[in-house]
Amino acid sequence: MSTIRERSPAAYLLALPAALWMTAAVVVPSMLILWVSFWGGRRFTWENHLVLDNYARFFRNETYVGLIGETALQAAKIMAITGVLGYCIAYFLAVMVTRNSVRLTLFLILVIPFWTSAVIRSIAWIPFLGVNGVINQALMFLGLTDAPVEIFLYSRTGISMAQVSLYTLLAAGPVVYMLRNVPNQLREAAMCLKAPPIVVFWRIVFPLTLPGVIIGQVLVFLNVMADFATVAAIGGNKQALLGNLVLLFYDSGQLRYAAVVGVMLMLSMLVGVVVALRVVDIRRLGE
Amino acid sequence: MHWQTRARLTKWILGAVTIGFLAYQWLPILTLSVLSFSGPDGGTTFPMNSVSLHWYRELLFASALSDFKPPIGRSLALALACSVTTAVLALAAVQAMRARFRGYNIFFYLILLGIMAPGLLVGFGVAIVARIMDWQLSLWTSAYLVHVAWTLPFGFLTLLAVFNRFDRKLEEAALTLGANRWTAFRRVTFPLVLPGIIGAALFGFTLSYDEFARSLFTTGINLTLPLSVLAQFDRQLTPTLYAIGTATTFFSLLAVGCSAMLILLVRRLTRGSVR
Repeated sequence: MSTIRERSPAAYLLALPAALWMTAAVVVPSMLILWVSFWGGRRFTWENHLVLDNYARFFRNETYVGLIGETALQAAKIMAITGVLGYCIAYFLAVMVTRNSVRLTLFLILVIPFWTSAVIRSIAWIPFLGVNGVINQALMFLGLTDAPVEIFLYSRTGISMAQVSLYTLLAAGPVVYMLRNVPNQLREAAMCLKAPPIVVFWRIVFPLTLPGVIIGQVLVFLNVMADFATVAAIGGNKQALLGNLVLLFYDSGQLRYAAVVGVMLMLSMLVGVVVALRVVDIRRLGE
Repeated sequence: MHWQTRARLTKWILGAVTIGFLAYQWLPILTLSVLSFSGPDGGTTFPMNSVSLHWYRELLFASALSDFKPPIGRSLALALACSVTTAVLALAAVQAMRARFRGYNIFFYLILLGIMAPGLLVGFGVAIVARIMDWQLSLWTSAYLVHVAWTLPFGFLTLLAVFNRFDRKLEEAALTLGANRWTAFRRVTFPLVLPGIIGAALFGFTLSYDEFARSLFTTGINLTLPLSVLAQFDRQLTPTLYAIGTATTFFSLLAVGCSAMLILLVRRLTRGSVR
C-alpha cells in the first residue's frame, strides 16, 4: 500500500508534464536536426525536398571527415586517462580510507567543483598554460628548461589537461558507488582460499565494479565528444573538434551543414553507447 | 616483499594519486582566486604586482560593454525558475513512477535522455525548431525549456533514490489509520522526502546557473552569465574575469553549503514530528 495506487490513472497525469517537457525539448529537436540535415532547396521551410547533397559535401571534405576520427581519438585518450585515474581515486576513497569522516571530506573535495561553472574552470587553466604561465615559470624555476615551452596553450595538450580535470569525477563516481557495494565477505572468502591480493582484485573486485567503469567511460565519452567550450577556451581558434564545427556552421548561417555535423556527432555517440550497453546491462545497476 | 609492506605501498601510491589529482583539480581555481586580488597593474598571470580589490571594483562600476550585473541577474532568475520547476516536475514524475503505470520504463528512459543528449545538440535543435516556426529565441521561452530538460533528470534521479530508501511502513501506517492517500502524502510522505526535494531544487539551480552550451543556442540577445564571461574572454582576458570567476564560484559553493544545511535541518525537524 502506498500513497498512489498501482496503475492509477492519476499516474499518467503526474507523469505527463515531465514527459511532454522532455519530448518537446530533447526528442523533437533531435529529430528535426536529422530531418534538416537532408533538406535541399534554398529557403528554410518545411516544403524542402530531401536530398543527400549536404552529406556528400561533408564527406568530400577530408578535413571534416578527419575531424570525426580526431574527435574520437581525443575521447579515447581522455577515457583512458580518466579511467585509470578515476579507478585509482575511487579505490582509495571507497576501500583504503577507513575513517568515514576522512572519506566524506575527500569525496566532497572531489565533487564540489562539479557544482561550479565549467566555463570558469576552463578559463582558470589559462594562467597556468601560457608562455609566461605558472607551469612554465615552475619549469624554469626548477631549471628543467631555459626558454618557455609553448606546447600548452592553444594546443591539444592544454585541452587534454583541462578535460582530465573536468571529467575524472565522472569516471570515478560510478566506481566509488560499485566498490562500496562489493561485500567484504567475498574478499575474505577468496583470501581464505589462499588467493593473493592481486588475484582477489582482478578475479573478484574488478569484475564486480566493471559496470561502474563502463558507465563512467560512457559519461566521459559523451562529454568529450560534445565538448566545444573547453576546446574553444583553451584552443583559441587554433584547435577544433566536431562540436566546434557545428558551432562554426551555425554561426555562419549554414544550418543544413551544422545539422549534418550534428547527425555525425549523434551517430558516433550512439555507436559508443550501444557498444557499452552490450558489455553491461545498465538496468541491473540498481539491484 | 612481505604482503603487508606491499599493501601499505599500494595504499601510499593510490593515496598520492588521489591527493595529487585533488590538487591538480583545485589549483587552477585557487590560482584564479589569488590572481583576482592582484594590483591595478597586475596582469593575467604571476607576478601579482601588489594586492588590491581593484578588479572587484572594476566589476562593480563597469562600463556598459563589460557590465556583468544584468547577466548575473538573468542567470539567477533563470536558475531560480529552473530549480522550482525541476523540484515540482521531478516530484510528480517520481510519484507517478511508483504506480508502475503502463510504459513507465519508456518514461524512465525518456527522462534519462536529458542527461545523455549533449547540450550542443539539444540547444542547436531547439534553435532550429524556433527558426522553422519563426519563433523568437529568448531567455524565458527557449532557454527555460532547454535548461529544465537538462536539470529535470538530475532532480528525478535524486528523488528516485530518496523514494526508494524511505520507510514505507510509515505511509502504510497513516493509510491504515484512516488518512486518505492525499492526506497521507501531504502529512507523511512529503516531509520525509523533503530533503530530497531540496536536493533536486539545488541541482536545478546550480546546473542551470552554470550551463553554457544549451544557453549559447537558445538565449537570443540577452546573455546569461557564462555566455557573457566567454564573450568577454574572447574580446580580452583581464583580471576582471578572474574576479567574476572567483565571485561566481564562491556563490556556487555558498548555494551548495546552504542547501546542505537546509537538508540537515529539515531532516532533524521531520524526524521529531513523524515519530
